[in-house]
Amino acid sequence: MNKKLISLITILIFSLVVLTGCGSSDTKGQQGASEDTIKIGFLGAKTGSHASYGIETLKGMQMAVEDINAAGGLLGKEVVIIEDDHGSKNSEASTVTDKLINNNKVVAIVGDPTTGLTKIAAPIAQQNQVVLLSAGAVGTGVVEIGDYIFRDTLLDALAAPAVTKYCAEELGWKKVALVTSINNDYSVGLSKIFKNALDKYGVEIVTEQQIKDGDTNFSAQVTNLASKEFDGIVFTGYYTEGGLFMKEVRKQGMDQVLVGGDGLLSPVLWEMGESAVEGSMVYTGFAPDPNTDNPKTKDFIEKYKANNDNKLPDMFSAQGYDAVMLIADAIKNSESADPKVFRDSLAQTKDWHGVTGTITIRENREPIKSPVYLLEVAPTADGSGREWKIKAAIPVTAE
Amino acid sequence: MFWQQLINGITLGSTYALIALGYTMVYGIIQLINFAHGEIYMIGAFVGVIAVAVFKLNIFIALFMAMAVCIFIGVTVERIAYRPLRRSTRLAPLISAIGVSIFLQTLMTVMAGPQAIGFPQVIDDQLYHLGSVTISKVQLIILVLASTMMIGLQLIVKYVKIGKAMRAASEDYDTASLMGINVNRVISFTFAIGSALAAAGGVMVGMYFNSIHPLMGVMAGLKAFCAAVLGGIGSIPGAMLGGLFLGIAEVTGVAIGYGGYRDAIAFTLLILVLLFKPTGILGRPIQRKV
Repeated sequence: MNKKLISLITILIFSLVVLTGCGSSDTKGQQGASEDTIKIGFLGAKTGSHASYGIETLKGMQMAVEDINAAGGLLGKEVVIIEDDHGSKNSEASTVTDKLINNNKVVAIVGDPTTGLTKIAAPIAQQNQVVLLSAGAVGTGVVEIGDYIFRDTLLDALAAPAVTKYCAEELGWKKVALVTSINNDYSVGLSKIFKNALDKYGVEIVTEQQIKDGDTNFSAQVTNLASKEFDGIVFTGYYTEGGLFMKEVRKQGMDQVLVGGDGLLSPVLWEMGESAVEGSMVYTGFAPDPNTDNPKTKDFIEKYKANNDNKLPDMFSAQGYDAVMLIADAIKNSESADPKVFRDSLAQTKDWHGVTGTITIRENREPIKSPVYLLEVAPTADGSGREWKIKAAIPVTAE
Repeated sequence: MFWQQLINGITLGSTYALIALGYTMVYGIIQLINFAHGEIYMIGAFVGVIAVAVFKLNIFIALFMAMAVCIFIGVTVERIAYRPLRRSTRLAPLISAIGVSIFLQTLMTVMAGPQAIGFPQVIDDQLYHLGSVTISKVQLIILVLASTMMIGLQLIVKYVKIGKAMRAASEDYDTASLMGINVNRVISFTFAIGSALAAAGGVMVGMYFNSIHPLMGVMAGLKAFCAAVLGGIGSIPGAMLGGLFLGIAEVTGVAIGYGGYRDAIAFTLLILVLLFKPTGILGRPIQRKV
């Protein structure tokens, strides 16, 4: 009698587990919506070689969520960020994405700040019909993955030509050396864009050098540069290698500066390169311009400074903030937290004013953002360290 | 430009040679590929940075400190992870070595953080011009220190009593112990010297390339292992030659525009050598003992 009761209960529990299991896999999309919170996932690195991007993105996202919840939340619900860490590893990115979607039931993912890892994560988000909005991926081939994939960042394809034009016309560069990190997807893509742009504006590439992410010895490549004459170095890799490369350039007695994309945008650039990177230029979709007339930007800078020992926000924190706000606006406008619904609303974003400027999502889900800021590494006023100085704000036009 | 690249190659190669010596000596005596050796090199670099950046010590004192710390770690690793396994199959200490290597990497990642750390500018980097060739003070220091250490090691092994004992133990481990040689002490000494040289290599590489991180030992260790095999594993002059050869080959590859293949060059060379001269450049054919 007792045994029968136990087995009956066991069967009941089992069938319940099986049934709910089936149920959840059928209604994956609505699961997040039916709870009392709206979950947004953070995909990025808190450790590893790209950690400084991920940490800043997350800071911006948290500020956005605080602002949203302080104003009463979204559709009457609280917004929370589910954070995880893939440690800058390609191999972990898909696991983390899968976990965010299937275990945590997020309705949208913000990330990854890098192009390479976004491309790994995007097919998973697309397959599960969850919106993925990268707040930093600037390379090609991201939104092409599917109609749930977005980004809010300035595209290299628009920024690099604008910067090349500036270098050729304002700085008078005629010859450059091009350095590519060949095991870095972003760098390989950016080099291609720069090559086209340099060609278009009549700048000659006198030598092309290959490096690899993780290399520390650039003596041979730099010796190759030393035998050539050129006005500047176009460097498409990341900050660690950029700093070390420039140090070697100075060591071998050259005085040219480098210009590169936002992959170089980190204080690690001068921690590695020290005085060798002074004068080097990096373009970015956001700069904490104290003279900005955008009230949102002003508010954001003030709030960020208050929370971070008076430090200024960078592109990643600002774009992380805008990413969450864009998603929140799409959810508000479509009155649904179901990615299948608010996706359409997100795709129709037009002249949206964010912290990082004006964003319009085009038909192909690519954003247009203006302006592009060209930053320069300069010593701080008191001479104790180095900082980014705004060199120019270059307007960007589509096509 | 050719001579400039040659200097680049020799500087890189001499750091490989310093690490390769540790592999070759340990292999010569107990037939163990000590895969934790690259991590000793990495720890050496970190000790160097701490000594220079935190305690503001002179670079040569820092070098000495790094060597001392790494001698302690190297000997301890041997005592804990290899000695208890000496009488087991040859695979057991090899796996133990891989374990130690991963343990040390993880330990440093947790302690120092995963980001690359810049090595402070310790020597004002003066440049010397010899015709079209430029050589920096740091490069000179590396070349001088590395060659001094290698010559010193060669002298110890040739003429000092413990060096003779090392050679005897490498010839035949059991017979040497029957002849009254304290083989355990000889092995500890071998690990001590190997670790000291690796630590010196680590500090010099940090000083030269300005960047260190917890995983730097992996590739450097593998390349030094290649260098040891190229030169003929078990042979001390072979390790030096192999290191230089590898450094020059790598820089040549980059110089002619194959920068992306720099790591592959070492391993391609290794495969070629193993195919055509399996004992390495200076290796002796193995004689069966009767």
